[in-house]
Amino acid sequence: MTEPLPSDMAAALAATARRRGPFGDPLYYFSETSSTNDVAGGLAERGAPEGTTVVAAAQTAGRGRLGREWFSPPGAGLYVSVVCRDLVAAPLLTLAGGVAVADGIRTATGLPVQIKWPNDVVIQPAAPARARKLAGILAEASSGAEGLQYVVLGFGINLRHAAYPFALTDRATSIEAELGRPPDGGAVLAETLAALAGAIAQLSEGPAVILERWRALAPSAHGGRVEWDTPSGTESGTTAGIGDDGALLVRTGDRVERIMSGEVQWK
Amino acid sequence: MEFDDIERILELMRQHDLAEFELEREGLKLRVRKGPGQPPAVAAIPLTMPAPLHQSALPAPAPPPAPPAADQESVELAVVKSPIVGTFYRAPEPGAPPFVEIGDRVKKDQVLCIIEAMKLMNEITSEYDGEIVSAYVENGKPVQYGERLFAIKTTD
Repeated sequence: MTEPLPSDMAAALAATARRRGPFGDPLYYFSETSSTNDVAGGLAERGAPEGTTVVAAAQTAGRGRLGREWFSPPGAGLYVSVVCRDLVAAPLLTLAGGVAVADGIRTATGLPVQIKWPNDVVIQPAAPARARKLAGILAEASSGAEGLQYVVLGFGINLRHAAYPFALTDRATSIEAELGRPPDGGAVLAETLAALAGAIAQLSEGPAVILERWRALAPSAHGGRVEWDTPSGTESGTTAGIGDDGALLVRTGDRVERIMSGEVQWK
Repeated sequence: MEFDDIERILELMRQHDLAEFELEREGLKLRVRKGPGQPPAVAAIPLTMPAPLHQSALPAPAPPPAPPAADQESVELAVVKSPIVGTFYRAPEPGAPPFVEIGDRVKKDQVLCIIEAMKLMNEITSEYDGEIVSAYVENGKPVQYGERLFAIKTTD
């Protein structure tokens, strides 16, 4: 059962209503659910329209890519899944999602977050410190006889400091930890949805603006050291931007590889 | 058999890393063998070799018009192809059992695999009721647009 929206979120959503278009309307709120992506996927299967949004303050079965657990303790994060049906936008939707979360967090908090290909949202301290992840995106779709019908774009945003498992401590951070004060979760939610509405509207007119914004937010896409797995073993190289199809370009020796999928490890 | 058919067989061998392929039917015997580390090469194509009983001084008959056995089989088999370029996953997460195995009965809309591109996890569902008879791609391998993923023997 859905629950009433906390008042800070309701106020922030009302203040951004005009900029959000259909995103966040309708919006289903849960203080706790299994996984917002699963709930949104179920709604999409039953015909939920573009922009239908599921928000939870905690997930009991949150996950990242390939079933990796996304640590989602109560009160620490904001878990948001949005039904997207604009299939013109689909090929670059995951990049646009990264742009939307990064811009939403920037607008709501002023933090200078960056993107790591394709769409991790990170704080990048001065070298040699490693980037710390502030938000992640898991996009899921289903293709059958009728082709792609919808994409569920799920965001997990670390709002407050949590007792992260040991393995995560040097790789994760929160808006509260970076800002030094409690964040306004409602503003983060509302500005992210508004940025997503803007990004998807841009994409339906063509990829140029979103690609340009993505590139501006992702300095690590140039000159970053990466490793990735191929059928013939692990390769490494130096990032050399992204192609107009969103592929990460990596220079290795005298070749430039195009990476469209799979794991990329940042060194 | 047309040149295109042979090309298709060579492509199939490349895709599945087959070392040897042999096809025998009336009036035709085709054997393609790949040397170690070599791309597939056509070793022998006696395209119009007549069946022994028909051997005579007469000129060899024209090859029979297209479709015997192999083509009939492809009518019963539905081949599921990749709708996108990406990485192929047979299971929802590492260590989990595959969505489907060869011999499994599947229903229309059942998830067969995931293809991931730029962190979009795209569940590929079956368009048919039937039985999985072939799985062409290994877990974690890159796939191209239109590449074969599974063959399903359909049931009406």
